[in-house]
Formats: sequence, structure tokens, C-alpha cells
Amino acid sequence: MSTLAIVGMGLTAILIVGEIDLSFASLYGLSAMMLAVSWLKWGWPLWAGFLLCIVVAVLTGLFNAFFTAVVKIPSFIATLGSSTLIFGFTLLVSRAQRFSTSSPPAGEVVRKGEISFFRQISNLHLPFNIPMQVVWMIVVALIAWLILGKSLFGFRLKAIGGNPAAARFARLPVTKYKFLAFIMGAVCAALAAVFDFSFIGSVQPDGGQVLLFPIFAAVVIGGASLSGGRGSVSGTLLGALLLAVIANGLALNAAGAFAQQMFLGVVTIAAVVLDQVTRSWRKS
Amino acid sequence: MSTTAPATPRSVSVSGLVKRYGDTTALSGLDLDVSGGEILGIVGPNGAGKSTFVKILAGDEVATSGEIHVNGQDWRRGVDADRIAVVHQEPQLFPNLTVAENLVVGREISTFGWGKLRDLDKKVLSDTGLLPYMNRTLGDLSISLQQRTEIARALVRSADVFLFDEPNSALTEDESEQLFAYMHSLADAGSVVILVTHRLAELVRHADRAVVIIDGRCRRELSGADLTAETLARELVVRSSDETADESVRERRDAGEMPSLLSVSELSHQQDKFRSVSFELHRGEVVALVGVEGSGAREIVRAVSGLEHLRPTGGMTWAADSSADSNRTVAFVTADRSDSLFGNLSVGENLVIRSGDDIKSRFGLVRSKEVRRLAQQAREEFAVKTASLDTPIRSLSGGNQQKVAIASVLRLFPAVAALEEPTRGVDVSSKREIYSLLRQYCDGGGCALLFCTEDSEVFDVADRVLVAARGQIVTELNCADFDSAEGLAEATASLMGGSATPAAAD
Repeated sequence: MSTLAIVGMGLTAILIVGEIDLSFASLYGLSAMMLAVSWLKWGWPLWAGFLLCIVVAVLTGLFNAFFTAVVKIPSFIATLGSSTLIFGFTLLVSRAQRFSTSSPPAGEVVRKGEISFFRQISNLHLPFNIPMQVVWMIVVALIAWLILGKSLFGFRLKAIGGNPAAARFARLPVTKYKFLAFIMGAVCAALAAVFDFSFIGSVQPDGGQVLLFPIFAAVVIGGASLSGGRGSVSGTLLGALLLAVIANGLALNAAGAFAQQMFLGVVTIAAVVLDQVTRSWRKS
Repeated sequence: MSTTAPATPRSVSVSGLVKRYGDTTALSGLDLDVSGGEILGIVGPNGAGKSTFVKILAGDEVATSGEIHVNGQDWRRGVDADRIAVVHQEPQLFPNLTVAENLVVGREISTFGWGKLRDLDKKVLSDTGLLPYMNRTLGDLSISLQQRTEIARALVRSADVFLFDEPNSALTEDESEQLFAYMHSLADAGSVVILVTHRLAELVRHADRAVVIIDGRCRRELSGADLTAETLARELVVRSSDETADESVRERRDAGEMPSLLSVSELSHQQDKFRSVSFELHRGEVVALVGVEGSGAREIVRAVSGLEHLRPTGGMTWAADSSADSNRTVAFVTADRSDSLFGNLSVGENLVIRSGDDIKSRFGLVRSKEVRRLAQQAREEFAVKTASLDTPIRSLSGGNQQKVAIASVLRLFPAVAALEEPTRGVDVSSKREIYSLLRQYCDGGGCALLFCTEDSEVFDVADRVLVAARGQIVTELNCADFDSAEGLAEATASLMGGSATPAAAD
């Protein structure tokens, strides 16, 4: 759930401004891999690896935004392209290998202290058995809520996504805000990847690929509009919660585990239909 | 051009055509009769209902009520779609298919491939001079050839009525002449031809009869000697004087007392929509740029707002004492409310959306109390009638929506407010309110630059009128020199009529 919610926060920003992002799943894989490779294989200190991981995310956001907001390619195409590019790069960097904190590549000495600290990021024991991931999710959601729900940036983002033409006439900083939205989306994906890497203790190059649809589903169920101008942090949080609860329920019985995919499709379509119906009902 | 002689005389008769979009009425009982062999011209100001009329005849929209008869028979939308052909400003065909394919698409002979051209198709292609282009992809051809394909497509479907909707606005002089030649040959063959255009001189030259559509109905019909560009221009601008007759003539200010604010010199549009335009804006005055579509008036207002691509020659200079004026800004509001308001935001949010630092706290967060206060203040100051600030903007009436659009700009007090047709599609009482809001803003030292197509409005609100025709400002009039809207309209009409050599009046 926390993965859905954290990556979903970033996607919410991108959908609000009226764009779409298909590259976050690949970026999720790449950013964790950049950390793993630089830290475990190249022997960089942990903080440098983390910095590299965030830099890669920001660059990806800039790349997506450049082709969308400056070159003016539809973001669907631009991010579909960057998604494939990123995935290919991940395979290249990792040589299609899996990395694990419990068995770093032979010949490299990784400081034990760093490894145990890294594990603690998502596995720290808290009172009442609260999972550390939930804490991170709440922290990210709070920051996202301040940015999207309370700041001038969030207010204008909604306006730009709602009516780009009017936004340009009103001299709102359309291009700049699109850049910021894409960067926010990318950084959220990278953060989620780091938290998950810490939790699981290993990364594989195709790690994020299965997340693409569930995250879209969570955000759309949460009320974000694919045509822009609508979406909220609380909605996305609820969407992620709903998906996680039902998926968990289904996973508890054998048939349900296989039906999970079908269920995901049905719920997403139902959410969009519901949205459409209520909107046309409100209009009349 | 037509191959089969018409069995019955062709005609189109429209009676009591009404079209409403929600609260706004686009057509309010339009009556029209045209017979075959005749070219009928249709003119009207923006928002008069011309394009709605074209859309209904083309079958793109359904009329709310009213009747359409073609050749004396009831015209059914969909079934009889082929009988009325529309030649668009931008052809509505399949740019990815060839000319020949465009002719037969929708009427394919076999399920596989598109079959062969019939003799009729070939005859039409050669009649329209399209034979050499028949295997070329349509999108690669010029607009004029695409329009000709549109005509050819209608001919093979044996259409009876040809509606030319601003057909030559994207054509060169020669191409226009060719197009009009085709238009005449269609009429000579007995078809009904309707020409909708803003270009009055052309309309006078080609049409046998012209109707002026205003406020969704036919206001005036002109033919024979009455049909001149001047009379048409007068009909267009001297509109609905009953709306404004009871308005007291405002006190005019003395032009000499107003300090200069912005001087525009030798401004030229990159695509030559206007050339070497110079004028001066003063504090405290409302300046109206008047001109028909294509005269450059709209583009000049947009250019001052920084929205058009200009040639590097010329420029705009702010007066030296204006440095404190809200950063010397020109704020812009389009005529189209769907492009000036944010449909996904509330009334209050729309009122403050142009705000920046004034609603931002130190950490970039919105100060929501301040937002409410500012929105409430604007709502009262600009007399916006709304249930609450949280009401969705779309549920307001057209006039109130327009007030919100204008208020969102004026409350920030820009140095110059550039407004396109500020009262288009707005009821009379809202019109007056909008005028007085503009006046208040100017009394506070602002300057409003309006683009208008109607002259009665100009007399009500403006101090000075710049008349544009053919990409140039042909004259400047002082509203104070006129006693009535009619007088001012008379003066501008002859200039707007598009005489080839506009003489500078004084």
C-alpha cells in the first residue's frame, strides 16, 4: 500500500496538471538499481548512492517535462518512450543482475554499519508494531498534501490542468509548473523505490514494471481526472488503501490470487464510470 | 456543372429556427428563403448566430425548434445530410486519403478496397479540374484544392444546396477568384448557394441578395442598389439601438488632461495581419479598437498583450512615470469565456487565480483566509451575483461569468486591461454593469483597450475609437464629438466598409 500511495502522490501531481506519466514504473526500477549498483558494486558511500538515485529521478523528470512542455509531444508518447529508454538503461547498468544487501557482489567490501542502517530505514521496530513503511508513507503524503493541497503551486497546478488556454492568458507559469510536476512525480517514484529496497533487501532490474497499472488505478480511483484539473492527496491515499485492502483479502484465498488482475481492471473501470456519471449528473 | 437537370426547382426555406445552449440563445427564430440559381450572402457580427446556423444546416447541431425545407420537402437531419453541402474555411475531409478516395469514401462499392470511380465521379473530377490530382494525398494539396475536393464530393452526391462558410479566408487572391468562379457556376446550374463571410466587399460583388443576422434573427435584407458595403457595415454596427437608447449620454472627459501611458509605434504582425500600426494610450481612458474580422483589430489588441508574433521593427514604450504601475503589465481577457475562466474551479478561486505573492505565505503556502477575503472583496466590488464563493463557476449566468473573468483581472489593477469583446453574449443589465466597472477602473488611473465589433457598445463605454480596416488603423474618433451611437456608427461604418483606399478622416 505504501508503494502505491507514495508513487501515486507524484502521479497525482502530473495528472492534475493535465499530463500523463507512463515512465514512473521503469524509473522505480532504475532509481533503486542506481543506488544498489553505486553502493554495492562501485563501493560508493550510501549517501552518495542515495544522492545519485535522486539525481537520476530529477533528470528523468526534466527529460519527460522537456519533451512534453517544450517540444510539445503528447506526454503519453514522451513518457512511453522514456519508460522504455529507462528500462533499457537499467538492464545495461545492472547487466540484468539482481542485487541484495545480504550478499553484495564478490570482491566488494561494503561497510556492515551502512548495511544495517539501510535495512533499518524500512524495518525499524516501532511501538505497537507500526510498520516503518507506513510512517514514510504518512510523511510523504503530508508533504504532498502541503504542496498540492495548500500551496500556491498546487492551486495554480489545478488551474493549469483545468484550462491550459486560460492559464496562458492569465500568465500563469505553465511550462515551469509542468517541469515541477514531472520532477515531483519522478522523485516520489525514486523515494518509494528506496524504501522498498530497504524493506525487501534486494532489487531486480524489472522491479517496478508490475506497479504501472495498480498505481494508475489507485490514483484514478482516488478521483484524479485523466483530462487534468482534478485530483487530491487524500483521494489517492484512499484509492491506494482500497486497492491494498481488497488485494489482501483476495490473496488470502487461492482463487483470489489469480483473480487479482481481473479485479484490478474491473475496479478501475468502475471508478472512472462512476466519476463520469456523477460529473454529467452534476452538470445538468 | 451538375449532370442531371433538377426535377423540381431547388430551394431552401428556413422558418422560426431556434437554438439554445443552456441559458444562451444563439438563434431566436431565424427565417430565410433562398431559391436555386441565387447566391445569398449572410453577414453578422460575432456571436450573432451565423456559425450556429451553418452548423445546423450541416447537420452538426440539432435545432431546438423550427423547420427547414429543402426543395419544398421537410429536411431530415442525417437522412438528407448529402443534400446540403458545406464548403468550410478549413476543409473537413480525410487528409490521409487521396482526392479520389475522398470522393467515394462512405459510398464504397465493394467491401474490399474502394472499387472503381463511376463515370459521374470522373466527370465531376474533370469539371472541377481535379483530374490531375486525383491520386494525390489530400493533405499534401493546397487549401483551395481541398475545398474544391469538398465541392466535388458534394457534386457526386448530387447536393442541392452549397453553403460557403468563410471559404476564402485562407486563400490567396487568385485562389479566391477561382473559388468564386466555381460558386457562380454552381448557381448558374441551378443550385442554391449561400455565402457566409465577413468580407463585405466580396459579398457585395458576388451575392444577389444579402441578409444581416443580428441576435439570432434576420435583421435586414438587402438587394439590388441597396446592397453596398457601406449599408452592410451600417447594419452591422448600428445595432439594436433600443437596447441603449434610454442610456444617458455620459460625461466625457477632456482628452488633453489624460497623461500618456503607453505608446505603440510601427507595430507589424509577422503574418501581416496588421502593418505599421501606431497609437497612444492614456491613463484613465477607454480606447476601443473597432473593425470587422480580418481587419487586424483583434490581432492588434492581442499584440499589445504580448500574444502575437511581431516583426522586430517598432515597439511599445511605457511612459517614464509608469514604473510603479503593477510592473507595467497588460492583462488580457479573451472574448471566449471557456478560455478566460477555469471550469474546474469555484467562483472564488476564479476571482483570485491571477494572484501570486499577495496570497502566498513565506513558505509558498496559500493564505486561505486572505484568499477568502480578497475573493469576497472582489465579489462585492464587482457585484458578482453568486450563491457563494464555493459555487462552481459554470453554474453562474453568462453575464456573471463574464464579470468574474473581468474582475479577476481588474482587481489586480494592471496598467492596461486589454479586453476582447467584453460584453459578448451578455444580457443588457450585465453589459451596463461591466461598462461601469471599466469606467471605475479607468477613473482609478487604469487604461482599458477594447476590441469591439459593435459600435453602439463603443459609444456607451469608450472615450476614443480607433477604426481598423485591412490591417491598418484608418482613423481615430473622439466619442465626445458625437451625440448618439448612431452618429458614431455612421462615421465608422463607411471606414469599416473596406473601401480600397481608406481616407484618413479628421
